Amino acid sequence: MLAPLSWLKEYVDITLTPKELGEKLTEVGLGCEKIIKTSDDIIFELEITPNRPDCLSIIGIAREIAAIENKKIKFPELKNFLKPIKSLPLIIKTDSSINPRFTGIIISGIKVKESPKWLKDRLVKMNQRSINNIVDITNYVMLELGNPIHAFDYDKIIDKTMTVSQAKGGEKFESVDDITYHLPKDAVIISDKEKIIDLCGIKGGKNSGTYEETINILIRVPVEISNLVRRTSQALGLRSDASSIFERGVNANGTIDTLKRTVDLVLELSGGEVASDLYDIKVQDFKPWKLKLRIDRLNQILGITIPTGKILKILESLNLSPVLTKRIIEATIPTYRNDLKIEEDLIEEVARIYGYNNFPKTLPNGIIPTNEIPYFKDYRADEKVKNILKADGFSEIYTYSLIGEKDLPKEINSQDLLRVDNPVSRDFEYLRPTLKINLLKAFSQNKSNFEKISLFEMGKIYYGKNLDEAKEIYFLSGITNSKNYFEVKGIIETIFENFGIKDNPTKYIEILDEGIFFELNYSEILKNVNFNKTFKPLPKYPPVLEDLSIITGEEIKTADLISEIKNQSSLIANVSLLDQFENSRTFHIIYQDKNKNLTGEEVAKIREKILHKLKEKFSAALKE
Amino acid sequence: MEEELMQIKNSAVSMIIDAPNQKELEEIKLQFLGRSGKLTLTLKEITKVPVEKRSEIGKLANEVKRTIEKTLEEKYFTLKLKFSSLRKQNVDTTAPGIKPAIGHLHPMTQVLYEVVDVFKSIGFQAADGPEIETDYYNFEALNIPKDHPARDTQMTLYLDTRNSKVNPGEIILRTQTSTMQGRVMEKVKPPVRVIVPGKNFRYEQVDSSHGFEFWQVEGFMVDTNVKLTDLFGTIEYVLQKLMGKDVKLKFTTTNFPFVEPGVDTYIQCSICKGKGCSFCKQSGWSEIMPAGMIHPNVLKAAGYDSQRVSGFAFAIGLSRLVTLRYQMNDLRLLTNPDLRILEQF
Repeated sequence: MLAPLSWLKEYVDITLTPKELGEKLTEVGLGCEKIIKTSDDIIFELEITPNRPDCLSIIGIAREIAAIENKKIKFPELKNFLKPIKSLPLIIKTDSSINPRFTGIIISGIKVKESPKWLKDRLVKMNQRSINNIVDITNYVMLELGNPIHAFDYDKIIDKTMTVSQAKGGEKFESVDDITYHLPKDAVIISDKEKIIDLCGIKGGKNSGTYEETINILIRVPVEISNLVRRTSQALGLRSDASSIFERGVNANGTIDTLKRTVDLVLELSGGEVASDLYDIKVQDFKPWKLKLRIDRLNQILGITIPTGKILKILESLNLSPVLTKRIIEATIPTYRNDLKIEEDLIEEVARIYGYNNFPKTLPNGIIPTNEIPYFKDYRADEKVKNILKADGFSEIYTYSLIGEKDLPKEINSQDLLRVDNPVSRDFEYLRPTLKINLLKAFSQNKSNFEKISLFEMGKIYYGKNLDEAKEIYFLSGITNSKNYFEVKGIIETIFENFGIKDNPTKYIEILDEGIFFELNYSEILKNVNFNKTFKPLPKYPPVLEDLSIITGEEIKTADLISEIKNQSSLIANVSLLDQFENSRTFHIIYQDKNKNLTGEEVAKIREKILHKLKEKFSAALKE
Repeated sequence: MEEELMQIKNSAVSMIIDAPNQKELEEIKLQFLGRSGKLTLTLKEITKVPVEKRSEIGKLANEVKRTIEKTLEEKYFTLKLKFSSLRKQNVDTTAPGIKPAIGHLHPMTQVLYEVVDVFKSIGFQAADGPEIETDYYNFEALNIPKDHPARDTQMTLYLDTRNSKVNPGEIILRTQTSTMQGRVMEKVKPPVRVIVPGKNFRYEQVDSSHGFEFWQVEGFMVDTNVKLTDLFGTIEYVLQKLMGKDVKLKFTTTNFPFVEPGVDTYIQCSICKGKGCSFCKQSGWSEIMPAGMIHPNVLKAAGYDSQRVSGFAFAIGLSRLVTLRYQMNDLRLLTNPDLRILEQF
């Protein structure tokens, strides 16, 4: 929302400098994004949050400034409607469930022409195009007071009948700006006997707009239903200044004042005379409502004690008419403040005008909860595993969860992946089923600058062919071209040892053209993790070490040999592969007895047993 | 002859590796490469090889020679640098050190661990929740019913519901980690102090300060007497710990349907030091931590009595915090896996 300083000053006295005012407006909730200096003015560009439709008007912003400056606003002077001398006929059929209020009046004998300079200048400052005096007045008064207004060419309303109803869906509608829409079901529209003349709350119809030949007009200031306007506007992808206001909730009690202001300007700038009684069709009275604010509650929630006098003054400055009885304030909420519904809303009003940056700062007291929370995540585990990889030369990457169909390797079919209905682009349409795709991409991206590349990522992958089966799982994957298979295997063995996991890493490692790749289900690791460690006393007696070279078929697996050797005696503390050449393998064996020194004979016996077993099972023989 | 050459190579290499000192290394060199060394002698016999095989053997012989020389050279180097010999010899110690080949943790991870630590120090535990989320936890439980205009500020990525029992629009990619307010609170009674680091998704055009995937750390606490000043104090404590004691903050009013009063926290832009740049949209400030007192409707939805307990909630823009912390001028650097970026951290 744009707000020229010169215009604001018509309603409120401003003592702050533009810079101070911008900062203060931001603090109270009207985010000042820019202050633009023009040749004769200063224009504030404000970001209005969805709860403050009243601030989509100059008067609304002026009210906020009045509260900041502790001043009163000067509302434009309004004249009462004149009694019509002659009355033009009009039948209005409406339904309060889709159009809660229909306020309108007919003006006859106007002259449509160019707007005066002051009006055009104002609109230019608001980034609006000047059309003609009537359209400009409706835009101007909407910007000024915050209630949208539409002027119909009275003579184009066939049979002088206006019916408010909902679209069946598919009807064609051409707007004043020459665009044809196919209306969605339930869009609120006004029709005359033959055609749709208005898309309520969003855009007027081309067939009933105000043009040079127009002489008589109906000015309508409606209250529309937020949800209905929002749905239609979304379905059509069509936003207007009016729809933004209606979506957020219009000032239901502002229609009469808005109409008065519009009529005043029309009579002044285009001539003509009032040609009907006031139409004000509604079933409900739109009255201000009351809200209670307990002073003790306010002080408790805010954590400071604001003097009661100061609280009252702030509420007064916001035009909330506070009345104090026994530490309870009753405020009367004007209908333009739809956002004030509960006590906490009033607490915010006091706090923001008091100024958030004037508050002291405290740290919470109270008991620190010690029970483990639901969904608890232990980040120390992540840290441990990442540190192991880091120590081994791997660098960590973060990549997108969303990937494109073109990224998929042949063996993955996009039909089997979870898909986003409205992706930002085709490149980010599917949830990744593996970390491999992005790791390989990252790998090749680095190839031009680095010879040795080791990368890893810990992140979610997403399973399931449809949403009923959808699952998200943390994976830990890496790729390296500077470590061999057994080094990578050793890293995973180290991770498993540290995490107390008993598993064989072989199935998680893949040899690719680019290097060695691994992929671990980290969620699964976390489920089975066991960080408990128990100290084992150091052996009192020395171990016996020996290297045993064995000749056996090359197809025999080393793992099987090791486990078979270990099985032969509980006195074998450890077996490792020392060397391997063709059909010969050398094992390093540690014999250890906790309770005594091992003798040569004892070791020889076990050795015999080992050789016997290996011969029997694997036709293995000792290398001579 | 090929076999002979291979044997020479293997035995030379293993001897070199096992050599305990420079003297022995010299001897090994002579033994293999000397005028009457094994390799030299073997090569003299090349005339006995049939002519057509000679060039192949020649190539192999050269390779063997090179391997032996290279291994020797490396071994010389390590022996020379052994600290025992460093003092005896005149080694130039001003040459740069040899760095271990360790990798680098992503800056996001490094900052996240700090965030988790800082909050742990004031009693907050970390929770982890789903990214594929229901409309209920992402919006409804947070006082954002269907058709609420606030939904426009968090444009949602909807998941394809075909071939499933899910109704269109019901399951989405979460737009905020605040989803965990409902999930955690409905399971435990106050007091609660929770942070939720995680990835969020929005239908957003990518630029230097926005992405369609970004990281947040949601946090909330509920207890019998939680006050707005506690929220201000907690934010200041956390940001001072993360960004340094002299960090400049300001608080403004804002509106999120799940808080009342609503607060936004701005941190002075570290990239331009408050002067205004494209990253902070020329304002000199960067929005870092939207927050507020938890709305009574949210407490009610979780089964809490809003008259007896109160709470605050906040969301740290982690991606943005990381970029501000390291003066990176573009959020996209965080998802760029270029090692030239990663090696700086």
